[in-house]
Amino acid sequence: MVSENLVKNVVSEPYKYGFVTDIETEKISKGLSEDTIRLISAKKEEPEYLLKFRLNAFKKWQKMKEPNWADIGYKDIDYQDIIYYSAPKQKEKISSLDEVDPKLLETFDKLGIPLTEQKKLTNVAVDAVFDSVSIATTFRKELAEYGVIFCSISEAVKDHSHLIEKYLGSVVPANDNYFAALNSAVFSDGSFVYIPKGVKCPMDLSSYFRINSGDSGQFERTLIIAEESSSVSYLEGCTAPMFDTNTLHAAVVELIALDDAAIKYSTVQNWYAGDEEGIGGIFNFVTKRGKCLGKRSKISWSQVETGSAITWKYPSCLLLGEESVGEFYSVALTNNLQQADTGTKMIHIGPKTKSTIVSKGISAGNSVNSYRGLVKMGSKAVGSRNYSQCDSMLIGDQAAANTFPYIQSQQPNSEIEHEASTCRISEDQLFYLQSRGIEFEEAVSMMVSGFCRDVFNQLPMEFAAEADKLLSLKLEGSVG
Amino acid sequence: MQIIEEIKKNELVGNPTEIQKICLNKLKLNPLPNVKSELWRLSNKSKFSSFLDYSHKNKESKIKLPYENESQNVVRLIIGENSIINLEGENYSIRKLEDSQIIDYIKKNISNFDQNDNWSDLLNHCLCSKKNILGLNISGNKIPPIEIFSASSSESFNAKTLIVFFEKNCKVDLSQINLGNQNSSLSQSTYLCLESNSSVNHGVVSYGENKSNLLNSLNIVQKAKSEYSLGSLHFKYNFARFELRINQLEGDAKTIIKGVQITKNNDQIATYTKMRFNGPNGKFDQINKSLADDKSHAVFEGAIIVPKIAQKTDASQLSRNLLLSKNAKVDTKPQLEIVADDVKCKHGATISQLNDEELFYMRSRGLTLSEASKLQLSSYFQEIIACIPIPKNRWDLLDKLLTEN
Amino acid sequence: MQSKKKELNPILEVNNLFASTEDLPILKGVTISVHPGEIHAIMGRNGCGKSTLSKIIAGHPSYTITKGEIKFSGQDIQSLEPEKRAQSGIFLGFQYPIEIPGVSNLEFLRVATNARRKFLKKEELDTFDFEDLVKEKLDLVKMDSAFLSRSINQGFSGGEKKRNEILQMALLEPKIAILDETDSGLDIDALRIVASGIKKISNHETGIILITHYQRLLDEIKPDYVHVMADGQIIKTGESDLALELEKHGYEWTDNFSKQYR
Repeated sequence: MVSENLVKNVVSEPYKYGFVTDIETEKISKGLSEDTIRLISAKKEEPEYLLKFRLNAFKKWQKMKEPNWADIGYKDIDYQDIIYYSAPKQKEKISSLDEVDPKLLETFDKLGIPLTEQKKLTNVAVDAVFDSVSIATTFRKELAEYGVIFCSISEAVKDHSHLIEKYLGSVVPANDNYFAALNSAVFSDGSFVYIPKGVKCPMDLSSYFRINSGDSGQFERTLIIAEESSSVSYLEGCTAPMFDTNTLHAAVVELIALDDAAIKYSTVQNWYAGDEEGIGGIFNFVTKRGKCLGKRSKISWSQVETGSAITWKYPSCLLLGEESVGEFYSVALTNNLQQADTGTKMIHIGPKTKSTIVSKGISAGNSVNSYRGLVKMGSKAVGSRNYSQCDSMLIGDQAAANTFPYIQSQQPNSEIEHEASTCRISEDQLFYLQSRGIEFEEAVSMMVSGFCRDVFNQLPMEFAAEADKLLSLKLEGSVG
Repeated sequence: MQIIEEIKKNELVGNPTEIQKICLNKLKLNPLPNVKSELWRLSNKSKFSSFLDYSHKNKESKIKLPYENESQNVVRLIIGENSIINLEGENYSIRKLEDSQIIDYIKKNISNFDQNDNWSDLLNHCLCSKKNILGLNISGNKIPPIEIFSASSSESFNAKTLIVFFEKNCKVDLSQINLGNQNSSLSQSTYLCLESNSSVNHGVVSYGENKSNLLNSLNIVQKAKSEYSLGSLHFKYNFARFELRINQLEGDAKTIIKGVQITKNNDQIATYTKMRFNGPNGKFDQINKSLADDKSHAVFEGAIIVPKIAQKTDASQLSRNLLLSKNAKVDTKPQLEIVADDVKCKHGATISQLNDEELFYMRSRGLTLSEASKLQLSSYFQEIIACIPIPKNRWDLLDKLLTEN
Repeated sequence: MQSKKKELNPILEVNNLFASTEDLPILKGVTISVHPGEIHAIMGRNGCGKSTLSKIIAGHPSYTITKGEIKFSGQDIQSLEPEKRAQSGIFLGFQYPIEIPGVSNLEFLRVATNARRKFLKKEELDTFDFEDLVKEKLDLVKMDSAFLSRSINQGFSGGEKKRNEILQMALLEPKIAILDETDSGLDIDALRIVASGIKKISNHETGIILITHYQRLLDEIKPDYVHVMADGQIIKTGESDLALELEKHGYEWTDNFSKQYR
């Protein structure tokens, strides 16, 4: 069919963030051993307990097997062929942004994340992470006035060690899974957020992750703690240059929400996806989990996943506190030979807990897009509810969409509802829009974003626009 | 796991048939399914081993039927007991398959078997003697309803096989009743082949007694323009697994599946269904209901597989589960695997308890809680039981069994 | 007055048009010509090819033209994409307007209107200016602004869908509007609203084709010409009294024409 081919052309868009920054970096040599870990820890001047945490994780990792259960196929990863620490060379201590290498600032400028005082985004505080290290965090002073801590995790280890010691690994234990164990052993940097009791964070916080070198893995670690009655909205964006090798990204994100606290965590993931033949691209294997510890606490994940050769990601909520709420809103777009296996786990432990799952998968080209989710009602989750909705849209007849919802209940006084459907862009809908003068490409992109609307509505304002733009960029053929 | 020991030591049967030899060879090295695989991970390990704990060598006793054959209008067959069947009516015929046809058919199937996916059938063919395989060829229309019994005997492990070929344009009601005696295990494997334009209305009722176990595997292949509709009921088993595989070989066929499973006490009943479309324009509609009470465990896993060739498939699947006790457990996993783009597929699952508002409404009109609950439960099942093609007068017994508690 | 119209060039000319879908011939030689300011009605039984004709003029991809031509403002439009036809001023009011979940009606109307304005070399409207414009047009079809925030046609009643079509016509200001059974499924009040909407939009520059098989819309809007279609052909053309004849005698009456015609 004519329109089908057109749709296929429309979804292939060159990657815009594929440039490499030419900067002198400090890299340790390839390979992973106890010595590598001691070296990373020493470079970061870490306290003893953290080194122990790392070594302990490493021991566990060595005993674990790489998972192969997800609906994913990829070449074996040689863990000795990866550089585990890579940082741009900079002056020892940087007191202000002006001392940051202009090349780095320029890189982030190009990515649409200006960091300098004059140009920085006005309503969002940004922590910019380049390969293994955080290079700058904006609005720190302003945030400090509210008692909000927003800094790189390396700084937090130095300045807020008691919080790190208390919470690191408390949500995702070091031995949780293969990639979480690897991250716990070698994590280099990431963001740390602490919102004190009763504070509504005055602006959105954001981390921007950039992988620059082709042979180093990125293993960032994010920890967000929201004390009683506090709230925060956190955004995360990711890009990487185009290399014909695969780069490993194995992050761990831990969220903790105490009584009446709310954390909203939004991701727009646009790592390099590899080319049309499936060469290159990021392996995105991340573990994201939030613990609703407190009563009436709320953790909400929203994600727009458009990049990476392989995505393996299940942002989850442990609903412990009475009446706590977990949410997961996801849009995943795959094209060419991309594979995505993503979804969530909602583990209802406390009574009257609630969760909502809305997942929209769009598969084009020869890609495979799977939703995999678990909803579990524990025996004490009296009066708990879950509602899940998983919709897939298929573009072209080579793409695959799978839905694997795992549903378990041990609590009669609870309700679980799951709905799923599959659709395509119908010729009649396209014709209707075209017959009103709307161009084909715009019509397709209107329908795709209409399909994703439930999820976009959940994103913070600035992000929603960005996500919409990102999708239509991916969907626009000739433009761009 | 006595039966596994017997397989390993090769002392199962004195004089194995060709098929038994092939299957024994396949199972000897690896006699059990991979318990970590998706198909088996939820099976209760100790119940599964108790299923395998009976010997195959015990004598089979004659089957005690739950009701007499009152109606002359029903063709009644008992697997293992009827030796000659040849019925010719004005417009129809029911013939027994030749031994060679049976052997060829099973051999053809075995060659495509996967150790894990088809373990239940492999086990069945290992153990099933020639006498316990019933093969039929049915053609014509205005065929009287057919009723086929299969049962296990106390203190033993029995395997029974049923193969039915439905010829072109044939139209028939077929009911299968699987009975479990005290302390016994039954492995029932069934193959139904529907030629084009045939229409089969199939009912499966399986119920056991104290400590009976069942492994019920049902394989359906459908040619174009055929219609297959199934109503199934499984209850009163310590351990039961109902595996249903349907393949629309050319698409363009219609499949309707309605099933109920009821678990009480410490029972575990699991239903696994796999619907595969190998051609375009197929239709599929499934609803599976389970009810779990006491400390029981109900499992449902259903897959719908729509490859590229199966454009314009229209499939829907619904899993409804009632959890009646706080010690009971329900696991459900309806899944879709789709490559074709011009398809309509949807699935849904719910787990809930009886509707409080409805109960209250009925109680406010003077019904007791238990009466109201029974009414609600019976309406919950009605939709499914109504499709089981069993004559009304035969339902009395099942009605009694269902409302027992 | 009619002779004056004839002096102008036709907006739309369909010449001996043959078309088929999936190798099934639907149109078997249709000829019709519409001048500025004219209102034409095409009547006929279900399946006679009325709707197909309208979809082909709008460029629906499911149909293939096997013979003949369609000219719009003197240009052959056969190779034009549907959106280009719409931008240049061809409007099709659908018999069954499709529902598009998730896509906001307001956004849709704005993008469509701007595409047309761009073609007309008019300034494109931003969200605020567009809202002013759309509110003014809403009155024409007596629609509430709440319609704008809903998804395209989703959950609209039959009458609401048809009014949404007329609203789109009002915004796009087409040169030729083909309204396919815009009257079907409407109660008498809704029919009046739709009819008065059409009347307000029509002017001496616009051509209108009303496709219907009932007289009742034609009671509200008097056509200059009535064409009767059967089996993919126009079998009789007359003035507005032809519709009344048809109403009186029923479609059996036309069977005679088709015999004669053959």
